[in-house]
Amino acid sequence: MSQERILAHVARHDFVGRDAELHQFISYASQLPERKLLLFAAPTAGGSEFLRQAYDELFFRRASAVPICFAFGKSDLSLVEIASDFFRSFLQQYIAYRRVDPSLCVTALTFHDIAELALPTDYEAVTSLIESFERERGSSDELNFLRFCLAAPHKLAASTKRTVLPLIDCLRLAGEYKTTLTNEIVRAFLARNDPAVVAGLRRQMPNLTHEAGADLDAAELINLDYLGDEDAHILLDTLTRKLNVESSDQTRDLIVQQLRGSPFSLAALAQSAREESVSLTNFLNCQRLYVDELMGGRIHRHFSNLLSRIAPQAQTRRTLIRVLYESGLSETRKASVWTWKKRLGVEGSEFEHIIEALHVHELANSSGATIELNTDLPVWTDYLQAQYQLEVAGEARALTVANALLDTLKRAPQTMRRKYRREAALGLKDLLSRFNCQEVPASLFHYDQFAASHTGFDAEAVNAALDAEADIIRLPQVVSSIDGSVIANTEPGRCAIAHGFEAAEYTDENEIVWIAVEIDSKLEAGEELTKEWCERLALIARENKFGGVKLWLVSPEGFTSDASKVLKQHDAYGSSRQQVELLTARLQPETAKTESIAVDEYEMVIPMGTDTELIAAHAVEQIARRINFRPDAINQIKLALVEACINATEHSLSPDRKIYQRFRVEDDKLVVTVASRGVVPAGLGQNGDANGSVKSRRGWGLKLIKTLMDEVEFERVDDGTQLRMTKFRK
Amino acid sequence: MDTTGATPVQARCVGDVAIIYASDYLNKLSGERIERECKRQLEAGRQAVVINFRDTELVNSIGVSILMGLIDAAEQSQARLIFSDVNSQTASLFEMLGLTRHVQIAKDEREALSWIEPESSAAASTVHHA
Repeated sequence: MSQERILAHVARHDFVGRDAELHQFISYASQLPERKLLLFAAPTAGGSEFLRQAYDELFFRRASAVPICFAFGKSDLSLVEIASDFFRSFLQQYIAYRRVDPSLCVTALTFHDIAELALPTDYEAVTSLIESFERERGSSDELNFLRFCLAAPHKLAASTKRTVLPLIDCLRLAGEYKTTLTNEIVRAFLARNDPAVVAGLRRQMPNLTHEAGADLDAAELINLDYLGDEDAHILLDTLTRKLNVESSDQTRDLIVQQLRGSPFSLAALAQSAREESVSLTNFLNCQRLYVDELMGGRIHRHFSNLLSRIAPQAQTRRTLIRVLYESGLSETRKASVWTWKKRLGVEGSEFEHIIEALHVHELANSSGATIELNTDLPVWTDYLQAQYQLEVAGEARALTVANALLDTLKRAPQTMRRKYRREAALGLKDLLSRFNCQEVPASLFHYDQFAASHTGFDAEAVNAALDAEADIIRLPQVVSSIDGSVIANTEPGRCAIAHGFEAAEYTDENEIVWIAVEIDSKLEAGEELTKEWCERLALIARENKFGGVKLWLVSPEGFTSDASKVLKQHDAYGSSRQQVELLTARLQPETAKTESIAVDEYEMVIPMGTDTELIAAHAVEQIARRINFRPDAINQIKLALVEACINATEHSLSPDRKIYQRFRVEDDKLVVTVASRGVVPAGLGQNGDANGSVKSRRGWGLKLIKTLMDEVEFERVDDGTQLRMTKFRK
Repeated sequence: MDTTGATPVQARCVGDVAIIYASDYLNKLSGERIERECKRQLEAGRQAVVINFRDTELVNSIGVSILMGLIDAAEQSQARLIFSDVNSQTASLFEMLGLTRHVQIAKDEREALSWIEPESSAAASTVHHA
């Protein structure tokens, strides 16, 4: 793909995470089917830049159609000015494409220049169009002039017998519903049968197509959502590198979570870091910058401009902020339209405009009967809270800043914890959707049987035994699998509800609903917990009037024998995480960081996994030998390191499943640092019960480490845990 | 059905006494293998079990917790459990974590067997892999 830019604001290689969508776009432009291509973009997801990138791509590909890209609603111009701007821009882009000279797209040209630059074969058509333009502009009918200009690409295409592909950006017209301009754009580009690409906000596009009487089902759609975590991370990494802003994996993860993958917000924060010369290497710096952005940066200006457009009058805007903020405090965050109208104190079309605009920009969700604050984007709710404190509560700015900073800092670990738990989830929804009538060993769904037969054997042996198992379960054909976390009141991704048919026979008798849930239990799940979950899921089944139901509980370490009896009573399945992983592998076949280090310092990264701690132990043994530690001390260091690795593996929901180790040799000591990313263990620094009861058998690791080493220090780092252990040479 | 692990636990019987050999690294997996074999021997009615640590270089805390479980299991079966051939580091670890309050540690297998019924040591021995 091309690296050169014409209309695009960022280089192609920096335009991250949209390859599939661009590919779909190019495919449409190559084939030019009779249907439209509609781009449904999330607010601040980069819809306009996507169109510009697509334009550049088409320009250099030299496809048969001449691309024309125009964004409406850039500034407060009159209809005549907008129409003229469109006409001039379209003609310049046409000439540029025909002359294969990208610079003509952005050079200031008079109509005389444009006519002179037209190729001989286009000259007559171009000059004729310009003459018509001058004539129409002289008339006093604004609407006719606008219509003439919007129809100009079609006319030129007809007279030159070339195909023109308009790429129409309506993103900035969001909320301007049923205005003259919007109506005419719809008429010119959506109501006609010619190929065209129209982009708008995803909540705006259905209204536009409805206005045009166009069949949404007949159009090709591209959904431009926020970037996924991985792409957002790459984008932020790219931005910070380009802007020479120092950042770390941890801080980038936090920012991505906080800004929910919005390219606009990510770019705003990175740019602000550059301008303020702030490094994004710790959570405090990130949150300070974030709060600055909320209070007066690009993010502030974005929301501030949006609210000014939605409610131009200052008093109405202030009331709107109050109503929005206070509605977020109620339990449901939802209120009737009547209540909103009364509280806002505006009537008729003004009220409708405000609610429509809030909905289209995804600041609130309007169902027609009720309105609720949209809390999906933390950046919006944070901005709203800050504005409420400043403008409505009359709080001093310094105090608002301080409170916002404290809140965001306190929230950071929870934000990361949610991410890790989400990533550590087993993906039951996807797993259920892959069932597809496959046959699997029954013991994968019966923890008691599995534990009795397979505990203590390595994965290869267990798989061999499972292959030989005679008791087989035929899974249903799942036709719909949804995230049931809202219904079951669990964290996202931890409950799934799948509708399907036994034996893939579509009859009432064969209809089955699987309700699967991941439950939290450090040890084998007990009777009470299992019973509680069985009853909870059974209630969901009853309330939703599910017919045939199969409950499936997944507990990381399986179930006690009493819990297994409860599962049997409910005819429910119960699996451990290991069983689910084995099942996943059966349903879908399987498909270091290095840094410069000081001479007296060694670094090692090991994956969390079976016995990998031994590799680390052998390494530290070699290092300790080189500096003449006594054999018993070497063994103590080895065991301490092994325990630290086990601790890291067991007690963190590590996103990268890696343990980072550093061995620093000093004059009189060896300092071993073991770090992992993820959740900081609860009760960090507390000892296990080593004296006692045989029942409390786990949790000795830390006590052991403290006994074996001379100094042990736990350090909470921004994103995980770091354990520093020192052994002195005596 | 039963599963056969890739690395079996070495064990043998001397009369009514089962002797189980721990591997070089006693962790969760190898500990569970020993646990399984030990429980199998107890269910078969063995009066005593000796766990021989002659090959064991390192025992981690999970391995220790499994051994504590075995002490429990032996107590419930009213059988004797003795550890033998424990190296000094591992012995310190057992001491530190309180295992030595619940289990006897013999210098070697012969001493362990001598602590059990005299007839056990006279009986014929059989070796097998669990």
